[in-house]
Amino acid sequence: MVKKYTSMAYANADELIFGKSKFPVKAGLGLEIGAGYTSPEVNYAPRPEAGKSKEKLVKEYERITTDIMARMVQIGAPSVVLETEHVQQMSNHPSWGAAVAHAQKTIMEEYHDEYGIKCALRHTIGDIREDRDFLDLRGGDKYNTFLEAFEQCAKSGADLLSVESMGGKEVFDYSILRNDTAGILFGIGVLGSMDMEMVWSDIAAIAKRTGTVAAGDTDCAQANTAMFIAGGLLDKNLAHTTAIVARAISAARSLCAYEAGAQGPGKDCGYENSIIKAIAGVPITQEGKTSTCAHSDLMGNLVMQCCDLWSNESVEYHGEFGGTTVQCWSETLAYDCSMMNVALKTGKAKDLRDILVLSDKYRDPQGYVLAYDNAYKVGQAIAKNGNDNYLRAKAAAIECCNIIESGVNSGKLRLTRFETNALAKVKADLVALTDDADKFMSDNLTKFKQEVAVFRPENYGL
Amino acid sequence: MLDLKLEDVDGILVRYNVALEKEMTPDEAAEELYPKDKLVYPIAKAIYEGEEDDVIEGLEAAIKAGKKPIDLIDDALMIGMGVVTRLYDDGIIFLPNVMMSADAMLAGIEFCKSQTTEVPEAKGKVVCHVAEGDVHDIGKNIVVALLRANGYDVVDLGRDVPVDEVINAVVENKPIMVTGTALMTTTMYAFKEVNDKLLEKGIKIPFACGGGAVNQDFVSQYELGVYGEEAADAPKIADAIVSGIKDIAALREEFHKH
Repeated sequence: MVKKYTSMAYANADELIFGKSKFPVKAGLGLEIGAGYTSPEVNYAPRPEAGKSKEKLVKEYERITTDIMARMVQIGAPSVVLETEHVQQMSNHPSWGAAVAHAQKTIMEEYHDEYGIKCALRHTIGDIREDRDFLDLRGGDKYNTFLEAFEQCAKSGADLLSVESMGGKEVFDYSILRNDTAGILFGIGVLGSMDMEMVWSDIAAIAKRTGTVAAGDTDCAQANTAMFIAGGLLDKNLAHTTAIVARAISAARSLCAYEAGAQGPGKDCGYENSIIKAIAGVPITQEGKTSTCAHSDLMGNLVMQCCDLWSNESVEYHGEFGGTTVQCWSETLAYDCSMMNVALKTGKAKDLRDILVLSDKYRDPQGYVLAYDNAYKVGQAIAKNGNDNYLRAKAAAIECCNIIESGVNSGKLRLTRFETNALAKVKADLVALTDDADKFMSDNLTKFKQEVAVFRPENYGL
Repeated sequence: MLDLKLEDVDGILVRYNVALEKEMTPDEAAEELYPKDKLVYPIAKAIYEGEEDDVIEGLEAAIKAGKKPIDLIDDALMIGMGVVTRLYDDGIIFLPNVMMSADAMLAGIEFCKSQTTEVPEAKGKVVCHVAEGDVHDIGKNIVVALLRANGYDVVDLGRDVPVDEVINAVVENKPIMVTGTALMTTTMYAFKEVNDKLLEKGIKIPFACGGGAVNQDFVSQYELGVYGEEAADAPKIADAIVSGIKDIAALREEFHKH
């Protein structure tokens, strides 16, 4: 049984700041994350043809790693983290992922030895636990291979272990396209949390065994899907008020990793990470304006507010005028980190944080809720109900609705009529839900077994 | 914490979606578009509202009044869905409304088929798949729903589909186009293989591709590729093909936005 968070790591929202976390994490070669400075975390994807063979992939990652380390040294960056998000071949064949980790770490060690640059390597294992038609989350060969990929990468050079786990996605995908609030809550807050507890208990055990760090998860598969479908101001695919409710719920879900033994830093695309930092005090990675190479969001500055690592999400490796993409983006990240680190050294960090937040806070309801003062309130709602996955997810969702309403009442956050109606619907749905977690489980199991053909309760031990 | 004065917010950002929101509510806009026929109106409205039970009820009433089930597909269900897709294209309603309407329409089509031995005629057949090695299928599911909502017969091969399975499905079904979606840079490479194997067999049909890491430059690298930036482009590309634009270059000219 994992220990659940029922209190906040920070006494108040104002304590949340970039570069500092309550529980810094030592990792890799001389790096300490959240210990008073920020570092860039560079993420990349190999060119399409590189996946043809193990040798091609390893060579591609060697080029990527060398390019980044060389550029960091060329511009005088004191520290850097590299994140390798596995392509499926690297996780389905753990020896491939291990070979890449070993090759990357060898290069990083050379740079560390020669220049003293602090660095660490994150490997994000692909969630390969599925076959063509169904999720295959627990037991069996898929799960064994999944864990083996963590183990081999950890033993071969990866310092930080992560995954973007997919528990609950089959129900979520169906529900988000049908405005089904209970289904969104069930998919992320209940099923997602149950899967997280299992997965992260096992990853934490591997990290302990191998002397590496169980770093954390992100609700990329669900809350980010909602955010991407929601899109920009003029997109008409999903109300942004609905998308941020999914995000608030995801904080309750992603917290499960830390309750199961993860230490941080949580992954870059976990926009829920500010809420998690407020509750758990773990360091976090974030991405914003520097991830425009991968996707657009509506809070490019705001999410920098309390990051410990600052990321670009992902960029395909290829040439640009200024070098390769990884060189260009690592340099951009490093200069942002330099700015934050100066603010920390000169006592101006809170001013910079607030400027970053205010540049986006009223741009969209999503950024409004994730602004650190409001993120803290969502965290409090979760912690207050911390012992029950369902109740805390529901509390986060309701608090999210309340926060948006107060923003609207202030006159500063403006919603379209459509967003207002969607918010009213979500809130009414949430308020009407039972407070009995067992009944919620039973009702939704029955419903989604009927409605979602690919939903298999046995994936959750049900 | 620092905060902005109310009057300063506008100088920092513009909520264009609030500033430009249409006056008419979605329900009012839909009401203007419904057909006036007393038997068709409730079916079209039930489609718009995504109410499957009401769709069936409306169909039963229309059949009882003498309408042929097979005709109701085009004359009622597709009309109702036409209202929905027009409102979506005009930015008046959002995607979940379309998905729920599509569910209701498909339930209606199944009901009509169960009431007759006649076989409905689709606008055309489309084969849809997610690239081999890729299991991210929400985009494909939206594409499938939108194509069906627009009257196309979709052969949905699902996700992580081996290249040869795509080719076999094309040979067997003779579609007007194939769609492929992918999230990862490494899995989208399978699109090139699909393209090459189709050409080997002498099949030259548009291969509409899109999704996460897929971009126009990549899709333009293979002969049959047509890039769709949004899921809603899929039925538009299909409509263009049905209208006679089968040349890949012409389709690219129309749909490649960058």
